[in-house]
Amino acid sequence: MPRSKPLPAASLHVVLALLDGELHGYALMRRVEELSGGAVRMGPGTLYGTLNRLVEGGLIEETTDRSPRTDNERRRYYDLTPAGRAVALDELRRLQTLVHRTAGHLPGAAPA
Amino acid sequence: MSARQRTLGAYRLAVRLYPRRFREEYGPDLVALVTDQIRDEPTWRVLARTAIDLALTVPSRHLEAHMSRSATTVVPVIFGAVALSAVVVGVTVGSIGVLLPCLAVAVIAVSLALVSAHRARPLTERRPTTGNWWKLLGGGSVVLAVLIGTTNATGELPEGAWFVAMVTGLTGLTLIGAGIVLGIAHLSSRANRSTTG
Repeated sequence: MPRSKPLPAASLHVVLALLDGELHGYALMRRVEELSGGAVRMGPGTLYGTLNRLVEGGLIEETTDRSPRTDNERRRYYDLTPAGRAVALDELRRLQTLVHRTAGHLPGAAPA
Repeated sequence: MSARQRTLGAYRLAVRLYPRRFREEYGPDLVALVTDQIRDEPTWRVLARTAIDLALTVPSRHLEAHMSRSATTVVPVIFGAVALSAVVVGVTVGSIGVLLPCLAVAVIAVSLALVSAHRARPLTERRPTTGNWWKLLGGGSVVLAVLIGTTNATGELPEGAWFVAMVTGLTGLTLIGAGIVLGIAHLSSRANRSTTG
């Protein structure tokens, strides 16, 4: 689906982190940190504010009750919806194109 | 009481600063997440990062809560009702001096209804702005058609009404022009996508 503008940074990191499958809040925060090489550290308010927006936007959904959990504490799990996965892959392609084109214009780089 | 417990107690209190709806939905998750963080990282670091996060997100969650109250379908419906009322009043009175201002009000109200409906759409329904070119083209054509029809039906414009008619006509022409420009941009972007894709 064509999009008018890229996702905000926090939403982008969350949907990309969920491409590998469902995660709970803390695991998602750690995954975002890992994917960004430690550059992006989302606080609790930022993370759950972003999750709230993405749930309301239909890009992710809560999957806590979808399968039995082994966690001692009850955690809420989130996963991409089909629309969210499409948006995440779309964003991934956009970023790949951006990097590819930018690298092609750097001095000394091979033409793209 | 340990530093960890004090930090968690303080954070539980701080969570109350968020808007009620957000707090009720995510409050326990926020505290659970900070509990996990304190388990894996030094308490002072978690405390510092959480304080910054609170300072940044409490105002923005309140702003979002405020904005989401107005970004519902109620607002476009209200503007639509205003537009309809203006048209009904203008047609009922019948005088060109009343009809044209009512028409101008209706055009503005319809524009605001479209903008507010666009803002209320969920993320998954986002489409490029250029995809709306046909709405502008159609809307402008309707405005011009109504204006021409009205002036033909009522004969010569009364004193003072020419200004309103001119503004309405210009609005129609602007909408048509914007529709044509966006339509060209939309078609060219589709052509680019089909070339690169």
